[in-house]
Amino acid sequence: MIRKTILIFVIILVAFSLTAGGAKEPAKTEKTIRVAENVPGLITPGVWDGQAITLNASIYEYLVEVDAVDNSLRPILATDWSTDDGAVWTFHLREGVKFHDGTPFDAWDVKYTIERTQDPAVGHLKRADFAVVKAIDVVDDHTVVITLKEKRPTFVMQMTDYNMAILSRHYDYENLGERSPMGTGPFILSQMVPKENALLVRNREYWDPALPKVDRLEIYFVTDLDAKVAMLEGNQVDVVPFVSPVTRLRLDAHPNINVIAAYQEHRFIAMAVDQKPFDDNRVRLAFKYTMDPDILARSVAQTTVGEGFYYNESPIMNTLVEYHEMGRRGRDIAKARSLLEEAGYPNGVSVDLYYANDHPYSKELSQTVAELAAPAGFAINLKGFPRDIYLTQYWLKVGFSITGWGGRIDPAILLGLAFRSDGPWNEPHLADPVIDSLIDRIASEADEVVRSRYYQQLQQYFYDEGAIINIQVPKLVALRTNVTGYQHPLTMIVQYKYADID
Amino acid sequence: MKRLWSFIALELLRLLATIVVMSAIIFLLVELMPGDVAQIILGQSATEEAVAALRVSRGLDKPALERYLSWVGGMLRGDLGQSIYMKGVSVNSLLWRRVAHSLALALTAFLLFVPLSILFGVVAAVKEKRVADSIISFFGLATMALPEFVSGVFLIVIFAVTLKWLPLVSIIPIGQTLWTNLRILILPALSITFVMFGYVSRMQRSSMIGVLHSLYIRSAKLKGLPRMYIITRHALRNALLPTITVIGMNMGWLFGGLVVVESLFGFPGMGSLLLTAVKTRDIPLIEACVLLITVIYTLSTRLTNILYAVLNPRIRYQGGQE
Amino acid sequence: MKNLIHQLRGQTLVWIALAVLLFWLFSALFGSAFIPFSYTAIDSEHVMVPPGTAGHILGTDSLGRDILSRIIWGSRSIFTVALFTSLLSTTAGVVLGFSAGYFAKAVDTIFLAAMDIIMAIPTLVLAMVVLGILGGSTILSLTLIVSVAYVPATARVARSVLLSEKEKEYVMAARIRGESHLYIMFVEILPNTTGAIIVEATARFAYSIMTIASLGFLGVGLQPPNPDWGMMVIENKEIITQAPWAVLYPALAIASLVIAISIISDFASKVLIHER
Repeated sequence: MIRKTILIFVIILVAFSLTAGGAKEPAKTEKTIRVAENVPGLITPGVWDGQAITLNASIYEYLVEVDAVDNSLRPILATDWSTDDGAVWTFHLREGVKFHDGTPFDAWDVKYTIERTQDPAVGHLKRADFAVVKAIDVVDDHTVVITLKEKRPTFVMQMTDYNMAILSRHYDYENLGERSPMGTGPFILSQMVPKENALLVRNREYWDPALPKVDRLEIYFVTDLDAKVAMLEGNQVDVVPFVSPVTRLRLDAHPNINVIAAYQEHRFIAMAVDQKPFDDNRVRLAFKYTMDPDILARSVAQTTVGEGFYYNESPIMNTLVEYHEMGRRGRDIAKARSLLEEAGYPNGVSVDLYYANDHPYSKELSQTVAELAAPAGFAINLKGFPRDIYLTQYWLKVGFSITGWGGRIDPAILLGLAFRSDGPWNEPHLADPVIDSLIDRIASEADEVVRSRYYQQLQQYFYDEGAIINIQVPKLVALRTNVTGYQHPLTMIVQYKYADID
Repeated sequence: MKRLWSFIALELLRLLATIVVMSAIIFLLVELMPGDVAQIILGQSATEEAVAALRVSRGLDKPALERYLSWVGGMLRGDLGQSIYMKGVSVNSLLWRRVAHSLALALTAFLLFVPLSILFGVVAAVKEKRVADSIISFFGLATMALPEFVSGVFLIVIFAVTLKWLPLVSIIPIGQTLWTNLRILILPALSITFVMFGYVSRMQRSSMIGVLHSLYIRSAKLKGLPRMYIITRHALRNALLPTITVIGMNMGWLFGGLVVVESLFGFPGMGSLLLTAVKTRDIPLIEACVLLITVIYTLSTRLTNILYAVLNPRIRYQGGQE
Repeated sequence: MKNLIHQLRGQTLVWIALAVLLFWLFSALFGSAFIPFSYTAIDSEHVMVPPGTAGHILGTDSLGRDILSRIIWGSRSIFTVALFTSLLSTTAGVVLGFSAGYFAKAVDTIFLAAMDIIMAIPTLVLAMVVLGILGGSTILSLTLIVSVAYVPATARVARSVLLSEKEKEYVMAARIRGESHLYIMFVEILPNTTGAIIVEATARFAYSIMTIASLGFLGVGLQPPNPDWGMMVIENKEIITQAPWAVLYPALAIASLVIAISIISDFASKVLIHER
């Protein structure tokens, strides 16, 4: 009986395996780059959460792109652009570009893409940013004029956001966007096994005939960081776009793997000003006085302050020209204690800290912060959730949180998004007329010197009264040494068209 | 014979009843969860109108009973609904490929642990209270006590990190199938084998000892039949019955083990899919996965019952499975 | 009791198992007084140092936290959850299983069908889905959900134990005396079945440690900075090549406790059930 049963099982196993489809091997002369990425959530541009960046960044394209080295703007679908006073923008578009489905790209597609941000059915993430658009006029097939309700000297920067991929007005993104993403980019989706992998092949009709340099892009969707790194070490993939600092130490010893810091990212520790206990600035100050950047750098990023790790108390990145040095506050537990006491918490205060426990740096950051703040009387209860659940259920609602933010090439975009009283992603629930008016003056000021002065005032204000701590961590990318030309600017939109492999 | 058929019919009826009630419970469970599905899909920054529009388009504004019936109706037609995160991607297209992978993994583990544990169980019983018995028994106890992820981590360190014989991650390269990558099954299957080996070999040992001490085996010995003949022909046949029950009862553990092992090795199976679905709250996917696991698991325990009844006619007259 | 001590003579393995169990019990109860560091303390000067460095007897993890202190502290939560799970599921199982077995056939049939249905979802899958969707597991939610998942199994055992006692003379006698059902079930029958029930409870104890560890591994168990043993294994898996001790020692802790309880449970079943 048992023998028979086993025999039947073997037959089933063999039968199943034989019917499981044929293999499609790449030709030997084809160049392939293999990437291990996060499992994507929603990927339709507009509602894309920025996960699985390799997939979308290779399929879609933008009006402009950012140079990974010097952060300058380069023309892509727009060949040039101009504005008179920051309120009327003229874009000249590239001719002869085709979408992957064969339809030609023209000015109407740009109009469609921008108008789509205001469509309530889409739930577009850039809705607030583009509410400033008053009119979009198609002058001819390759010229579009955008009129804004107010001056915005840095409007072109908004087109570098990863959700502003240029879409075809003929394509049904609402129904096909998740399954078959389609744009003008250097690679075309060939097949996708949902939540498992995707195969991209070179777009032979790409407007720049010299690009892309490789024929195939294989993307594996893997949740576990450790598994991704193991695939890299085992030569199963060539690129892992995000590794942890601890893993970096391990990979540094590997002869065929390099770890590069592509750009800086934010981790905002936000304290909501309308909820206890952080409604009192003395409590916020007390918390800031417990922080020690040196310890944070070591235990969060396995590095030192200045070596890819920065700490400041305003939202402006240390590496940007807009940044002004405020000086170090220094850790002072006695001062923190007395501030807490003044604020009416002589016996300390208990507060829940929410964060995404599967997002890089968050786990280490939350635990280190809780440990640093404890001696002053902060009893911090850690509430970690998977990133999807954190973002959908807790983020923006809770009083105390750690959230990962990508860099913005123009800090004004970030300020409007996250710190204006009507910003859609206003974590600390700020409604401060001083901050609002500074943000507005920054957004509409054309003179760089004056603008820089506003930036300085804003940072001083954040230092004294602000409700965030801005930790900057490196976005670490691990590559096998035979991968060259890997370009990954701080817009997060990785440029695989320049990458090559030996 | 008639009794056997009615027993089988009764078992199948119970299976059907279990699945019907289970589907309702799974639906209710998910229904009672905190959070609005439409809000989850669109994210925190979505506008009220967008959420409302989505609720209508996904039929979320209808009463629960109506949605349950349409869900069940869809399932009867073979339509498991759509993944929340992959709009337009049917759960069917995600799930079945994973189910096939998981079954292959479970079968590999099965083919490893069943013969191994029966063999060592018998050896331990025959060598009762001798060194071989003690070693096998303690090894069984130790492997049984290690959760799959612990034995899995040890196996990884030995075979993947140190010896580099087997891949650390069980990924199927793009354009290839599991069949061309059978190596990736070995470490996950071994991790499951470790746990199951303990349960099954210990049961085999004790039932074999019981049989070996029984009267008819003693009389067979007195008749002067060869030792090996007695063990394989007479004793083993009878001593297998309790083992089959134990294997059937531990199928549940095996399914739990699949979730753990698939997550540890990144194996593209049903268990890792369920974990991803839970972490992203992809409700249609959770419902489909749990229901399918329930069906497969119930089916396997019911089959064990029937198999047991076929092998042991006495049980049918009691009408139960104790 | 005398019998038990007699039985223990010569059982070296059981003595070792008892010692291991007592060690972990002591560590759960009083360990916090002896740990060299706080379980959350970050020693940023000594990150991933090997055992024996700078007072870190079992080394440190990637944040510079002391492994020994975390294991000792972790024994507390694992003991709490496992102990209460085993008590709760056994108690509920006895009440349900006894009622089903004692009363007429209709109750019993409904009971069996209901248990079949709950048992149709594997324990770990059920607990993972419920805890994962609720999010932010606590000791209480963990205990409750794992207990519920175990009740069908314990209730079935209790039911079959009751069935074997039900027709015995002393039960008949009590019925003739006109005692209430509750009295017969819990005053007459229960004391005669303690052996089997204790064996079941110890087995549940071992199972729940495995289940809790697995849930921790899957990321739906207790949340950081709680030093859950299963979570420590998964957290430190990424540094396994640089700091193997950070994985090895929590794994050994799980294994030693489960093996010890399994040996004791085995022994208890031998003494309390089979040799009666």
